[in-house]
Amino acid sequence: MTLLKDGFFDPEELENLPGVPSKKRLIQGPVVVIECAQEIPCNPCEEACHKKAIQIGDSIIDLPILDADKCSGCGLCIASCPGQAIFVVDTTYSDKEAAIQLPYEFLPYPEEEQLVNGLNRAGEKVCSAKVLKVLNHKKFDRTAVITIVVPIQYAMEVRNIALR
Amino acid sequence: MRKTEFAIVGAGPAGLSAAIEAARAGVKVVLADENQRPGGQLFKQIHKFFGSEAHHAGVRGIDIGTMLLQQVSQQKNVEIMLDSVVWGIFRANTSHTLGVIHNSKNIHLKARKVLLATGATENVLAFPGWTLAGVMGAGAIQTLVNVHRVLPGKRVLMVGSGNVGLIVSYQLLQAGAEVVAIVEALPKIGGYAVHAGKVARTGVPILTSTTVKEVHGKDKVEKAVLVQIDKNWQPLTGTERELEVDVVCLACGLSPLAELAWITGCKFTDVPELGGHVPIHNENMETTVPGIYVAGDLAGIEEASTAIEEGRLVGIAVAEALGYLAAGEAKDKKTEISSRAEQLREGPFGIARKQAKEQLICRSLSE
Amino acid sequence: MKNLKKISKQKQRTYEGESDLNIENADMIICRCQEVTLKDIVQAIAEDATTVNEIKRRTRAGMGLCQGRSCSRLVRKILAEHTGQKFAKVIPGTFRPPVRPIALSTLASLEEDTDDKS
Ligand SMILES: Cc1cc2nc3c(=O)[nH]c(=O)nc-3n(C[C@H](O)[C@H](O)[C@H](O)COP(=O)(O)OP(=O)(O)OC[C@H]3O[C@@H](n4cnc5c(N)ncnc54)[C@H](O)[C@@H]3O)c2cc1C
Ligand code: SF4
Ligand code: SF4
Ligand code: FES
Repeated sequence: MTLLKDGFFDPEELENLPGVPSKKRLIQGPVVVIECAQEIPCNPCEEACHKKAIQIGDSIIDLPILDADKCSGCGLCIASCPGQAIFVVDTTYSDKEAAIQLPYEFLPYPEEEQLVNGLNRAGEKVCSAKVLKVLNHKKFDRTAVITIVVPIQYAMEVRNIALR
Repeated sequence: MRKTEFAIVGAGPAGLSAAIEAARAGVKVVLADENQRPGGQLFKQIHKFFGSEAHHAGVRGIDIGTMLLQQVSQQKNVEIMLDSVVWGIFRANTSHTLGVIHNSKNIHLKARKVLLATGATENVLAFPGWTLAGVMGAGAIQTLVNVHRVLPGKRVLMVGSGNVGLIVSYQLLQAGAEVVAIVEALPKIGGYAVHAGKVARTGVPILTSTTVKEVHGKDKVEKAVLVQIDKNWQPLTGTERELEVDVVCLACGLSPLAELAWITGCKFTDVPELGGHVPIHNENMETTVPGIYVAGDLAGIEEASTAIEEGRLVGIAVAEALGYLAAGEAKDKKTEISSRAEQLREGPFGIARKQAKEQLICRSLSE
Repeated sequence: MKNLKKISKQKQRTYEGESDLNIENADMIICRCQEVTLKDIVQAIAEDATTVNEIKRRTRAGMGLCQGRSCSRLVRKILAEHTGQKFAKVIPGTFRPPVRPIALSTLASLEEDTDDKS
């Protein structure tokens, strides 16, 4: 487990999580990717989703289970997660590009259209990314949700951005 | 000499919650804290908390603090004494007297029931150079950065990867400092993986099986020497490496701040899962000295969310003991509170604490 | 450092780093308030101090401004290491009021009874 040693996932560790959609679902359009792997007492994501796509149940330590068919990829659950473990990935953004929504809590926020670095889970720069949208609703309580566009092969790799 | 029914030492989440519950039932409460502002640790916690809706999950610690303060200010029979250090506690027949210093005056406060909710103190780690300026506790850094908005330095080495180390690293990054590395002596990260993940994806390396060997600098920290350690905690020679840093932040665990509790003469037991020596207490959080209760980090290092539930429990128990709540009503409330607390003590991070708490209560029966 | 292994094992849950309390670092300060070094403490143990309180009386470690909040745990570790006791069995020193440093004049200035709020 690299997760507990280094703080980030192996790709295989990730695929087996109940909050991560199947490859088949991923290519069908926007969908949430919940990178939550430990039984910690937590369930705001379940309540945040009005479509009831996330299920944790009575025991709040259980892992979030995704019903990917119910998920529209709206991204409303992203800012609710105190662990910042929720992302939305859209591999259908264009032929060669994917859109990723991610939580972001660093000031200054990027501008829309700005070019930034796309970072992987270890914080390494893997590509250049374009900022599409910066949402900072009151409901998000100071966690911005940022949509970026990256080359499609990085859809499941880029999880953070760095301003240039 | 002042008198009250219920005196509380410490206005953190535990103390505030106890005051709210007891006052709601009609108890007269005095709440003393040494700080100029109530809230304890909560006002430093600018991140969103875990738990469920009932535990205010997804709400930032600081906002939970404001919520508690609002609730307590609605209670007419709670008096909050700020800037008030409780320096001693003495027993007289069935009541207890606290020595409180306020405005350079020594006040004696007599109460029928006392809650000690004094929180925790940070563990330090000694290595050559640890007394240099720039080596600081995580709590002090959090106060500087989040309350006073001052950066302690530019390049920080974090020692300890528990939740405190991870969260304070993240907050330092938010404030604009560079966290050069997080070191952890154990072979695995101590805190929640989600906290580790959000720090790791900014590029901060988390080095497990690694510790600080020594810190150098003329008047203040200039560099730190790291060394890898093996399974038996022996340094592996040849693995040393130097990092240029100006701050070394120690996040090596917390211990219950138990001085006042020791003075009451209540019995203690060592529970590593709860941070060391903790006062033995029963299911009402009452210690082996009748009328002295404990809650929050003093009753075992846990979290603000559990501190709130324990505080509430004491509030109800005290109201019941003083005749403000009928046994049946008190029992229902206590059951509800306990089940909320139990939800937080599940899973790989909570189960050891749950068992330790259960054992504590068992021990209290035989004391 | 023969006992280090044993001690470290039971400390594992607290996520602490390995301590560097060996006599190689004899001049390392342990009690910063009173400037007591590792050597002073090991010396006191060699002279048969077996509790935190005895070490406090001989070296003044723990009598400073912070009243041992920083150093008492370190002293316990050193005691455990050098006497072969389990860390958990080394009891923190006893506490006596006042638990915080307070000027005697303040202690003497007891509030008048006319302030009685009961
Ligand atoms: C970095 C960090 C992150 C954390 N994150 C979380 C989190 O995400 N979720 C969570 O649930 N918990 C979190 N916690 C834990 C939480 O802050 C504590 O568990 C909680 O504050 C304990 O509450 P308490 O009321 O027992 O003590 P405290 O909040 O420490 O309050 C104790 C009060 O008593 C006062 N006091 C002590 N002695 C005296 C005396 N002799 N006279 C007068 N006053 C005195 C103190 O000054 C203090 O104000 C975090 C802690 C830290 C350090
Ligand atoms: S992205 Fe929208 S639909 Fe999908 S799980 Fe989150 S809140 Fe529900
Ligand atoms: S809110 Fe985030 S951390 Fe909490 S259970 Fe859901 S995904 Fe996991
Ligand atoms: S460090 Fe020893 S008394 Fe303060």
